[in-house]
Amino acid sequence: MKITFYLNNVKQEIETQPDRRVVDILREDLGLTGTKEGCGSGECGACTILADGVSKLSCLMLAAQLENRRILTIEGLASGEELHPLQKAFVEKGAIQCGFCTPGMIMAAADLLQRNPAPDRKDIRTALSGNLCRCTGYQKIIDAVESAAETMRNKA
Amino acid sequence: MNGLTSIGAPLTRVDGPAKARGLEKYAADHYPPGLLWAGVKRSDHAHAMIKKIDIFSAGTVPGVAAVLTSKNIKGSNRVGLPEMDQPILADDKVRFRGDPVALVLAEDKSALALALEQISVEYQVLNAVFDPEQAMEQDAPVLHENRGADKGKNILISGTLKRGNITEALEQCDALVEGEFHLPRQEHAYLETEAGVARLTGDNILEITVSTQTPYRDRTELAHALGLPADKIRVIAPYLGGGFGGKDGITVQGLLGLAALHSGGRPVKMWTTREESFICSPKRHPARIRYRLGCKNGTLHAMTCRIIMDTGAYASLGGPVLAMAMEHAAGVYRIPHVLVEGYSVYTNNPVSGAFRGFGACQVLAGLEQTVDMLAVKGGLDALEFRLKNAVNRGDTTGCGVHMSNSTGIIPCLKTVQQHPFWVNRDKWVSEAPAFKRRGVGIAAGMQGTGYGPVVPDIANAKIKLLPEGRFRIYSGVSDMGQGNNSTNVHIAGEVLCQEPDAFELLQPDTFRTLPSGSSSASRTTFTFGNALKEACILLKERILARACNLALGVYKEDLLLIPGKVLHLPTGREIPLALIASAMAEDERVCVSTWTAPVARYPDSVNPEIRAAGFPHRVFSFACHLVRLEIDELTGEIAVCDYLACTDGGRVLNPQAYEQQIQGGVVQGMGYALWEDFKVAEGGETLTRNLATYILPTAADVPNIISLPVETEEETGPFGMKGIGEIVINLPFPAIANAVAMGLGRRIFQGPLNLEHLQEALQGSEKEAPQ
Amino acid sequence: MKNVILPNNREELWKTWETFPEAVPMAGGTDLLVGLRENKRKARTIIGLEKIRELCQVSLQDGEILIGAMVTHQQLLDTPAVAAHLPGLHGAAAVVGSPAVRHMGTIGGNICSASPAGDTLPPLYTLGARLELLNPAGSRVVPLHEFILGPGRTALHQREILSRVRIRIPAPGTRSYYFKVGQRKALAISIASMAALLQLAPDRSVMEARFAWGSVGPTVMRFPELEKTLTGRTFSPDLLNELGKAAAARVAPISDIRGHANYRRILVANLPLRLSAALAQEGVTKRDE
Repeated sequence: MKITFYLNNVKQEIETQPDRRVVDILREDLGLTGTKEGCGSGECGACTILADGVSKLSCLMLAAQLENRRILTIEGLASGEELHPLQKAFVEKGAIQCGFCTPGMIMAAADLLQRNPAPDRKDIRTALSGNLCRCTGYQKIIDAVESAAETMRNKA
Repeated sequence: MNGLTSIGAPLTRVDGPAKARGLEKYAADHYPPGLLWAGVKRSDHAHAMIKKIDIFSAGTVPGVAAVLTSKNIKGSNRVGLPEMDQPILADDKVRFRGDPVALVLAEDKSALALALEQISVEYQVLNAVFDPEQAMEQDAPVLHENRGADKGKNILISGTLKRGNITEALEQCDALVEGEFHLPRQEHAYLETEAGVARLTGDNILEITVSTQTPYRDRTELAHALGLPADKIRVIAPYLGGGFGGKDGITVQGLLGLAALHSGGRPVKMWTTREESFICSPKRHPARIRYRLGCKNGTLHAMTCRIIMDTGAYASLGGPVLAMAMEHAAGVYRIPHVLVEGYSVYTNNPVSGAFRGFGACQVLAGLEQTVDMLAVKGGLDALEFRLKNAVNRGDTTGCGVHMSNSTGIIPCLKTVQQHPFWVNRDKWVSEAPAFKRRGVGIAAGMQGTGYGPVVPDIANAKIKLLPEGRFRIYSGVSDMGQGNNSTNVHIAGEVLCQEPDAFELLQPDTFRTLPSGSSSASRTTFTFGNALKEACILLKERILARACNLALGVYKEDLLLIPGKVLHLPTGREIPLALIASAMAEDERVCVSTWTAPVARYPDSVNPEIRAAGFPHRVFSFACHLVRLEIDELTGEIAVCDYLACTDGGRVLNPQAYEQQIQGGVVQGMGYALWEDFKVAEGGETLTRNLATYILPTAADVPNIISLPVETEEETGPFGMKGIGEIVINLPFPAIANAVAMGLGRRIFQGPLNLEHLQEALQGSEKEAPQ
Repeated sequence: MKNVILPNNREELWKTWETFPEAVPMAGGTDLLVGLRENKRKARTIIGLEKIRELCQVSLQDGEILIGAMVTHQQLLDTPAVAAHLPGLHGAAAVVGSPAVRHMGTIGGNICSASPAGDTLPPLYTLGARLELLNPAGSRVVPLHEFILGPGRTALHQREILSRVRIRIPAPGTRSYYFKVGQRKALAISIASMAALLQLAPDRSVMEARFAWGSVGPTVMRFPELEKTLTGRTFSPDLLNELGKAAAARVAPISDIRGHANYRRILVANLPLRLSAALAQEGVTKRDE
């Protein structure tokens, strides 16, 4: 079927089967491999994207559900060469090790900061509790989100 | 984001920005045009002869390009090192539920799935054995018939280590305790499951881009198994999405290689699903460890330890893991009378192999609990007792391992002893809220670095001055997330006095980088860092020498290498590196250096087989951990409140990278202690099939980790450092178990200390719970 | 390949269903798509209900809170009336899966999956929730406890959907709670859970008490006869202990990968005591003592 949606602020028209998973469309058809797959069943968060501004699991979304939605993936977060404050904080605070969970983690954090611009560490831990990381022990990820929130509050 | 930095100061990851943008290409992210998907038909029997594989109807599925079996393999069809016993595709028989039987190449994933369903295999089912102790019995079914008779039925490797007179010594003890600890099977659960792409190039090179900790060993093994000359195989290892030992050796490489040889020149891709990864990847060895430990006047006097490890259907690194376990069985203590017996046993369970901690993790989980039990029995303070018996440099451990290099366990113990968490422990425990009990636990331990006395631990570093005045580091060791690539930049930046941006990194590529061993064994920075440091010193000398030629002066000591240029101190004249590079021949702009880690070559009391598998090591990292936790009396839920990790990893090269290892390793260790239990049913079927049933800690389950480095100076490590990637995971289990034992008033010998295993203890305390 | 159709309203829904009689409705997909992946479920055609606007709203009407079946767990969390009047349900929505699962999963999906471990079910049982079911011929209203027949089994007819959940707003001063024990703090399926709805007189005697346990039987377990014995008695840890023991004697939980039957029974007995700590924390019991 033909599907029209907005991907990282650009209108996109694709022809695909309605039951294909969104994560596969992004990675295989559109070359956006920043969205990772870690489990395929909603248990790891690596495939997290924003759909109409809300964090969702692209391994549990089907092509047909893309119609008319605004999809944001990790590749669409930075403005050109300028990293998003979350991306910058992840780099500077040491929140990235192997980095395979990082895109999903950042997208989940972006969802949090939209809802709550001033989360405490417990709020952040809860908000990221659907995103598994096997390398960092989460601590520096929490540091990074805390720091990015502050940066974004100061900018606003 | 980094300016000029020096060793000891923080350097943010050079791989950070690309990973944060989602632009870094992992092995799983390659989708070459025209690719075929490769997938595997796996055995649903734990032990069976293959009578017939019917691939005909699979081959007729539209979109299927090839269906392959072991008959299509020209080489030995065996991988694994040191023991080459694992087929790429099973030939005569299958040995666990999940053994690969046939390989399908298809245009897309749905055709692949359909074809895999169409393959039918006729088996003659054999008796199977799932318990390692039963597997050692005379009448047990045999997994590998053609092994030497002297090795015993299903015993992969075994050994005995004796010191002093254990029989007499046990009788001399004034306090003696014993316990048998059952340690669970742990899954690495890296976020990136096994993945790679392969193709046969125009000049007949088999090129494999794969998520691997061991690109060079892979090449050797593939050459043997697929029957190709090693120089016709090119293995490329991009950044890994995690490894932890699970990619220490062949995962999908053999299947990918075979596929590419039969794809009609098209590229092939394989990426295991999480469920498949769980079935086929090696795990941390489940272990049964029985300790007896006795002391005399508060001094450790005698220890026996019997280790039985279940290595599953194939050896993987079961031998070296057992050797490591035996070496660390007496931990950091001087014990004059010791008997250690170890067995690593084949069963029809999933394969066990390397996992961060590598055997030391299991024995220390048992030993450090036994030490606490003995302290309680002898009425001794658990920390004082450890301090009194811990090794100093020059001492020998109970296992006969000489502490010939930096030995910082005593300062680690003292640091914890002075910490308010330890000083105020009784008060904190007494302040538990209603329906909660509190416990404080400690554990101490060590971890050997590198491959041991027999297998040479060598790295070959290469660095090149590029025409534009920048540098390229040729890394021979994979970066699986621990950040060794950044550390390479850190080291090169220090020696060459250049900013991080002056360097580009080449990931391991057997055609371009130099053999440098595996990304494992706490040896990555230790060994490669030494080689790289030396290569950078050589290059610096050459640059300065050439600057002299370019009429900046005659004395090299008048020249200063600074970011992007060379400064002539007497005159203040500067010459850009690009200009110097242009005056150098390409060969001259490249420096290579080789470095071999020092080994311990003294005579020891262990059998040659165990020695060949890595016993003993020479350089060790040390640590003491403390945990404060709360147990819910109503439900048995455990909340880890505070965690302290005090580590002797030599000099800290980069505080941020150091903390990354500590925090991440502790949480992985907490997972081992509290949640992670890879369950295999009697019959060999995996019960924890996915991330919904195999329980990993989330951000909501763990506290912040406090890291306190104790910086000894390790003279053999680059800039005085030692590896810390593994020591950190060895102690959360026993520290937590000791705290739980304190809180519950009884000890649980079956790991992990999850709700299931706590329930019995909870039932005991149920009566007293409501107040 | 499967058909995936997302009707925009009832009319399109019934028309689609007529064309594809075997179609399976999807209300979020966090359960259905995992089931399909694991070959535990089959579906040739999927009808996603997410675009039918009337199913996506929460409203207040005649002392009732009406929750559309496609209201996500996150929407429940963000609805002030739910937080104010139904804290037990609010608490349950907060511990479903993970944030992203809460953004996708819906209350209707949670109910119709009819898992004994469904987090919203125990609070809905204590609230006496009633369900509006919609079919091409019209609608009917069924009490929740009659709707759920067993694990994965509901009273839904062919070509019928759950459209709304109706909950009478509890009397002022009613407290409600949800306690869950899982294998970890997030991304957890409950090993056992308990919802409580409690109305205490000023002298701390029980005016009304309802309890429902999840994950310890084929459906959510409630024991009205036990609840009745509490009425009029003074609220205390002893009372809760007595209730827990009596309830534990009445359940027959199973053992599975998450927990043993024995352990579940212990949890049934002990979870009521969580109320004791909760009320103490709110100052209810302490203030009076």
